[in-house]
Amino acid sequence: MSTVVNIVIYGIIMGGVYGLISMGLTLQYGVGKILNVSHGEFLMLSAMTSCVLVKAGVHPLLTFVICLPAAFIVGFILNMTLYRWLRNFSKDEATFESNAMLMSFGLYFILANIGLKIWGTLSKSYQFYSYPVKILGATIIVNRLIGLGIAIVFIIAFFIFLNKTRLGKAIRATSQSTTAAAMMGVRINKTMAICFGTGGLLAAAAGILIGMSFSPTAQIGLTNTVIALIVVVLGGMGSIPGAVLGGLLIGLVGQAVSFFDTSLVTVAYYLMIIILLLIRPKGLLGR
Amino acid sequence: MAMLEINNINCFYGNVQALWDVSMNVGEGEIVALLGANGAGKTTLLNTVTGLVKPASGHVSFMGKSLDGVPVHSIMEMGIAYLPEGGRTFPDMSIRENLEMGAYPRSMWKTRKAGIDRMFELFPRLKERSKQMASTLSGGEKQMLAMARGLMSNPKLCLFDELSYGLAPIMVTEVFRIVQSLREDGITVLLVEQNVKQSMEIADRAYVLENGHIALEGPCCDLMDNSYVKKAYLGL
Repeated sequence: MSTVVNIVIYGIIMGGVYGLISMGLTLQYGVGKILNVSHGEFLMLSAMTSCVLVKAGVHPLLTFVICLPAAFIVGFILNMTLYRWLRNFSKDEATFESNAMLMSFGLYFILANIGLKIWGTLSKSYQFYSYPVKILGATIIVNRLIGLGIAIVFIIAFFIFLNKTRLGKAIRATSQSTTAAAMMGVRINKTMAICFGTGGLLAAAAGILIGMSFSPTAQIGLTNTVIALIVVVLGGMGSIPGAVLGGLLIGLVGQAVSFFDTSLVTVAYYLMIIILLLIRPKGLLGR
Repeated sequence: MAMLEINNINCFYGNVQALWDVSMNVGEGEIVALLGANGAGKTTLLNTVTGLVKPASGHVSFMGKSLDGVPVHSIMEMGIAYLPEGGRTFPDMSIRENLEMGAYPRSMWKTRKAGIDRMFELFPRLKERSKQMASTLSGGEKQMLAMARGLMSNPKLCLFDELSYGLAPIMVTEVFRIVQSLREDGITVLLVEQNVKQSMEIADRAYVLENGHIALEGPCCDLMDNSYVKKAYLGL
């Protein structure tokens, strides 16, 4: 019984983190049609930076105030410059989509190697509420519960932002019809840059949560990009609720499978994807 | 001076010339129809007004201000509402949210609630479904939603592209009735249509576009008697 509780709680905890990363990825794709392979590098840089900052005496929660705006600004500027130029050069949307993915591959190599250059392959970690509590017989480390709480706050705040604010509605409108949104007076370039920046911000938030509970290295970027891609395909490309649901599923399945055999986790993910794509190619909540 | 002036527009898609020295104007308070078959260049001409297409030469001005080089997102704030073909409503947003987007510019956002109430009076059908997603509406209802969304910004000029296309005959009549009622609110209308007969019935003047040229122009009552129009467009 305690094993099941353990799997479920840890599954939900991982699901929260995966949901955060994947929301960012799906936002960047849904609005800007950029499949951002460098997404996980934002997470890695933020995870490592937050660890360095905490070691230097900054409170872990305070690193959010530093890493998140930084990630947003980097994403915003990248979109306003590189991706915008690329969009102007591309003769149509489909060309842009494939070019943008290639560009993000390039950014992945650059950012990943910056991380490796600075931190090498050693892991970083710090102590933050790292003692266990008993929940329904399962032993859970407190910082992971804090992480889950923060992830839930971010997810809810993001939903409120998208559904209730003027800018959030403009983002949704742009993802559904760019031309119509422009005709309503939405500044498309700016909106796309905000989305790309917000995607980076969400990845950075997930990165700090990983730094809080685990021991990140400069190599975790690509792994997380791949997980986010799986989650996004599972949940439906461009669907934000799909990203949260997919994240939760992947979190739970990952924990359940790793209870039996850790090496089968990725196999299980891809098996899920294959089965899903055969039954529902659009993903769970895709349109 | 006319409200909307389009002067000597030449426009190309690659090497193909889509518009040949096209000039037309729309006076304040008028309903003007731009008619023609599929591919005649009607939508291209509209897009030169909205800034979606850049003409090779020629000028467009609205209320004395040049529209050359004005980006599409600024058109609306100048008082022009554009309804593209098919309406292009936002499928995964509710009817209310679609209407809210019609008042997106900051200057209009604060008064959007009053605007929505006004639209619900004009289109009671939308009120019943205000929480429904736009994707669940029928073709005619989507077109009405698109019209209402366009009217949210209190436009001076409405550009309607193929308002009646793909609608059931009863819906066409309904939609054209609404266009006619806009005149009473002082809204000027440029109606781009393949539905020649019904457009001529509600419009004051019409232009007929053929292969990128203005083939005919004049008051609708005259054009309806024109033997060429009768033969080619009215099937008489």
